[in-house]
Amino acid sequence: MQDVQLRSPVIRTLNGLQTFLLIVIILAPITWMVLSSFKSRVDVTRIPPAFLFTPTLDNYRELFIRSDFLHNTLNSFIVAGGSTLLGLLLAIPAAFAISWHRFTWPATVTLFARLAPGTLFLLPWFLMFSEMRLTGTHFVLILTHAVITMPVALWTLLPYFDGFPRELVESAQMDGCRSGDLLVRIVLPVIMPGVVVATILSFVFSWNYFLFALILSGNNTKTAVVASFNFIGEGVTNWGALMAAATVIALPPLILTFIIQRRLVAGLSMGAVKG
Amino acid sequence: MTAVSVRNAVKSYGMTKVIHDISLDVNPGEFLVFVGPSGCGKSTLLRMIAGLESFESGTISIDDEVVNQKPARDRDIAMVFQEYALYPHMSVEKNMGFGLKMRGVPKHQIASRVGEAARILQIEPLLARRPRELSGGQRQRVAMGRAIVRNPKVFLFDEPLSNLDAKLRIDMRTEIKRLHQQLGATMVYVTHDQVEAMTMADRIVVLNHGRIEQIGAPRDLYRNPTSRFVAGFIGSPTINFIKCSVEQGALILPSGHRMALVGASLENGAVELGIRPEHLKERQGGVAAVVELVEPLGADTLVTFRLDSTAIMARLPGDVLPRPGETLNIGFDLADALFFNPSNGQRVGPVS
Repeated sequence: MQDVQLRSPVIRTLNGLQTFLLIVIILAPITWMVLSSFKSRVDVTRIPPAFLFTPTLDNYRELFIRSDFLHNTLNSFIVAGGSTLLGLLLAIPAAFAISWHRFTWPATVTLFARLAPGTLFLLPWFLMFSEMRLTGTHFVLILTHAVITMPVALWTLLPYFDGFPRELVESAQMDGCRSGDLLVRIVLPVIMPGVVVATILSFVFSWNYFLFALILSGNNTKTAVVASFNFIGEGVTNWGALMAAATVIALPPLILTFIIQRRLVAGLSMGAVKG
Repeated sequence: MTAVSVRNAVKSYGMTKVIHDISLDVNPGEFLVFVGPSGCGKSTLLRMIAGLESFESGTISIDDEVVNQKPARDRDIAMVFQEYALYPHMSVEKNMGFGLKMRGVPKHQIASRVGEAARILQIEPLLARRPRELSGGQRQRVAMGRAIVRNPKVFLFDEPLSNLDAKLRIDMRTEIKRLHQQLGATMVYVTHDQVEAMTMADRIVVLNHGRIEQIGAPRDLYRNPTSRFVAGFIGSPTINFIKCSVEQGALILPSGHRMALVGASLENGAVELGIRPEHLKERQGGVAAVVELVEPLGADTLVTFRLDSTAIMARLPGDVLPRPGETLNIGFDLADALFFNPSNGQRVGPVS
């Protein structure tokens, strides 16, 4: 059916046009961001915008030499990495149990937590963590970002656990496995593609999350996303540096997305059962 | 001593009772087969023995020890699954040795036992491969090898041949039987295929709607089924059932033929006659029946007759090749006939 449609030249042209439009809409702002990051202060605010300009690394120098942005990026890695790890540690056993017992309400509860606006948590958390003198630590950011990463990991992993053949679990039980062994030695190796996807999605979501870090981080623990706002001043905005920061921030998710694409295709469970 | 003993086991899924008060014993070294149509509870019963399925009441013992509270991993049993259930990320060798590794058996012992099992099953060249690189038959061999290396008290097989093609199924059938003779181990085997049950079993348990219909040696079930269900389930091609009546010591066939019931005491009234295709013969003075369908098998010919409204199949010698529409005279010996109560399906009359 699809073949028949594709054969018509009109449909094919329209299809191509549609794809082209989408790509332009998606790529235009990203291209603009990257280009602007290499523009001088004068070029970046020129109206009408200049498409031809002399590229400069000034903005990146501003970012990494004159400000603490490298440190902020490191903070982002610590927070996103830590909260991803914590999220996975909680989500993997939870997803296994939910899937095995076909017991979905706990998963739904985590979804509510994820769908609720972050501001809902923020005020009580701020008061609570201030009392505990924990605000400004990496620990508090990792802990709060787990609210983002845990549901993401759980919901990403659930279909992988659901697709895991039950006989394999039973076979491992007969072979003498307790639940811990079962998870580590049998289930996780087989659903590794799912764990990779969950890890990357969690990392990206945590990396990009702004609100919790804005309120709960201190000067030393400020993440890159929060720090990039330093370039928006009252009245003056350092557009070049801001765009450079945005480019740096966008890089890890971009790279990880490329990795995900390949891993998604893997079909590791082939041959476990018939077929 | 019994290898496995089930006493008054009851199991339900929600409101539906799937195992109704079942009791049975498996003797040490016996090959016992659970057979029945789908949904009869045979797999559930096997899984209860394995410890993979909980149940409401009754006891299950292995080697005279009640194992109700023991998880599957502590029951010292091995199971071969229909879907093979091999670990996809491990080589054949690792798959087979995994159960021993989990039980802390030293490495050199694992290697020698895996080697031995691989030799028995002739899968030595496959040891380094992953399951996805194996054919269905090879996978099932590995699954069996995984059970063998454990040297368990009881082997459980859950329809292990159902996913294989017909030819391979027959080969593996022979192989499992040979394996049983070689190992002398206790095996409980579930199948819906009565030919598998007949060819492999020392004793067969016929299950229907979660109840035991009959337990016995294959020949027993074939000769002396206690119910219409067992008679219909065991034997291929399927037994013919003909609604007849009994009048003053004679059997009246639907065609009007009378056969004197010598030595058989049947009450007057309706009765269902069961006669196996191989017991129908072409003979003088038999019932004239019109040939409807002829299926030559070489050694035998399967001939379907139309007798009033009933289709009846006969297994006749291979050189008998009638044409559809022809009329043959067919008959049978009374000694081969089985009689059933048409209202409850229970066997009536003489039991040979």
